[in-house]
Amino acid sequence: MIHHVMGNDGTYPLLIALWLLPLLGAILCWGFGPWLKARAGWLASALVGASFVLAVLSWGAGTQSVGGTLGAHQSLLSWIPGFDFGLLLDPLALLWVFVITGVGALIHLYSIGYMDGDAAFARFFAYMNFFVFAMLTLVLSDNFVGLLIGWGLVGLASYFLIGFWFFKPSAVAAARKAFVLNVVGDVGIMFAIFLIVANVHSIGFGDAFAAAGSYATPTLFLICLGLFVGAAAKSAQVPLHTWLPDAMEGPTPVSALIHAATMVTAGVYLIARCAPLWSVNADAQMLVGTIGGLTALLGAILGCAQWDIKRILAYSTMSQIGYMIMGVGVGAYEGGVAHFFTHAFFKAQLFLGSGLIIHALANEQDIRRMGGLAKKLPYAFVVMLVGVLAICGTPGFSAFFSKDMIIYGTLQHGHPWLYAVGILTAGLTAYYMLRLLFVTFLGSYRGAVDPSDLGIRHPELAGLPSDGDPAPQDATAHHHAPAWIMNLPVGILIVPSIFAGWLMFGGANSPWAHFFAGQFPVPNVVVPPISEGATSAIVFACVLVGAAVAAARYASKGALADAVARLRSESVRMPALLSNRFYFDAAIDALCVRSAQLAGTFFGRVADPHVIDGTVREAAISARWMGTLMRSLQTGLLRAYALILVFGAACFIVYYALAGGR
Amino acid sequence: MTGALPVALGNYVALASVMFFIGVVGVLVRRNPLVMLMSIELMFNAANVLFMAFARAWLQNAGQIFAFLVITVAAAEAAIGLAIVVAVFRSAATVDVDEVRSLHG
Repeated sequence: MIHHVMGNDGTYPLLIALWLLPLLGAILCWGFGPWLKARAGWLASALVGASFVLAVLSWGAGTQSVGGTLGAHQSLLSWIPGFDFGLLLDPLALLWVFVITGVGALIHLYSIGYMDGDAAFARFFAYMNFFVFAMLTLVLSDNFVGLLIGWGLVGLASYFLIGFWFFKPSAVAAARKAFVLNVVGDVGIMFAIFLIVANVHSIGFGDAFAAAGSYATPTLFLICLGLFVGAAAKSAQVPLHTWLPDAMEGPTPVSALIHAATMVTAGVYLIARCAPLWSVNADAQMLVGTIGGLTALLGAILGCAQWDIKRILAYSTMSQIGYMIMGVGVGAYEGGVAHFFTHAFFKAQLFLGSGLIIHALANEQDIRRMGGLAKKLPYAFVVMLVGVLAICGTPGFSAFFSKDMIIYGTLQHGHPWLYAVGILTAGLTAYYMLRLLFVTFLGSYRGAVDPSDLGIRHPELAGLPSDGDPAPQDATAHHHAPAWIMNLPVGILIVPSIFAGWLMFGGANSPWAHFFAGQFPVPNVVVPPISEGATSAIVFACVLVGAAVAAARYASKGALADAVARLRSESVRMPALLSNRFYFDAAIDALCVRSAQLAGTFFGRVADPHVIDGTVREAAISARWMGTLMRSLQTGLLRAYALILVFGAACFIVYYALAGGR
Repeated sequence: MTGALPVALGNYVALASVMFFIGVVGVLVRRNPLVMLMSIELMFNAANVLFMAFARAWLQNAGQIFAFLVITVAAAEAAIGLAIVVAVFRSAATVDVDEVRSLHG
């Protein structure tokens, strides 16, 4: 059997080096943390930065195209036939590697300031480097098993980092929840791999995709379904999204790197990688597009009802990933991937900006207790303003281009309903992001106001963490880390979050289209009745409406003068449906957790003690009983034995006497 | 092809049966190991009588050879049996087999 390998086979030492450098950093920070102390942060940042430089140097290898074969392929080891492990760097992988190492290095640098003074400083950077290594494994693997290994390892790194402050019970619970939900996804991918191996006897992407047209349709749908369960769990798609808001228990740089820029977009990567499978199965496209659209809408609605700055951003992340999934689901692969690219910048920037605020306010995360911060924290204001303008899709900012590619793509691929959902969500996005911006930065500072006057009653019922990041971050702790170490990475991120979108400008002649030429299958595109320019205009009109509503509710003179009372009434009168986050947690609890608990109780109380233990106990009791019976025959009386012997002999004699000669 | 016997074969069988029965009863009813050993010898010899009678009746010498073998085994058995009796008497100060029952379950 001929094996199809993706990429041009060769030796690429830079590729191996950029893959393994973060692992080296993780091992060093893990093993020598107490000795490295604060230097661990610089070491970890430098190694991820070096990885980024190597990725830039691999540009030529990753974008090479020889006879239609894209990218570089480095074999690592061959196991049994069909089970070959290697690295694949094609434009899709290269894009992810750039974001993982580039944004990753900036966030590492930021973390040096943010985590300064934490007791487990080196451990934090060991985990962060380990995450980068795991994520690189995921995107560089040339086969499904390597991808699944990376998939599991990023989940593990996410678990470590969400539960980094393990003395907070809420953080431990959130870490456990994230891990369990992610394992659901891992199992989905595993079953997809089983089906692929059963059909093509290979785990390689090349073999699986070369046979894309030869699967039976139900089989292909099941493969896509299994892969999508994994993508949905990792990328926080409905109904497996509930872990993402809780994951904000981790340190803010973790939220920026793992739960905004990279790991949660792994589902987008998976579907874009498996584009040859999706593009030949309309049912799978419909499923993924619908779930993506639903997630985008639900995330945006829930984002309107949150008060915790990081949770607003988490729901926003969920909503934006919904966009990406919708894009790659319907077949607009370049658009979905473009939104991943721009989102990585502006969302990392928003998270790091919120980290600046949280840091400056000694761990306050509730936006009701902020207000008027534009004067106190002008730099954070600029950062958040640019981020909000970018995510809203303001013309000229990055998301304007990428989001429109997706929204227009849904129409091009024949999904008008998703088109409508995309436009509606864009308006909602503008509303909740500007709400965040206005409530946080305009008006007067409300930190001194009694929380109950702001409608903050039970933090745990309002969906807020009981306490914020506990690292010592009051003003006196700032002496070690200079301010620039946190401000610089955020400042650098401003540039791409404004300008990255211009790469996608120009349709088929854009640098973006050139970069991905030959990467994705070219689907049949219908010419929609609404042009791309008109779509942009409609989206922007919708954004303006959302912005106007937000401005009227939170930025008008009357709203600012009466902010405390208004926030209080909004908090108190929050519909139960929204404050309970559409009851997804309760539904999962009732369906899965309760039923598992009932099954566990049944096995613990009935099956185990009475069936399993019971069998063993009965065997032991019957052995003792038989022993007692047999022991009574051992009288020790010699003549009794003789009598038994004689009796036995007599039986023989009688038998033979009666049986005669027969 | 049987050899002529001065006495009918049935008489030998009857004699052996009686001897064997006396031996069995002796083992079962007596409590003195010496007498029990003698009863066992009686059963051996009942078997020997049968061996000799049938060897003669069928004109085959294997039976006679077996009789010698039985005598040898009986001698060995008696030697071991008497040794055990002496040993038991030394430790238990009795030879009554009903008293010696420390192996009861």
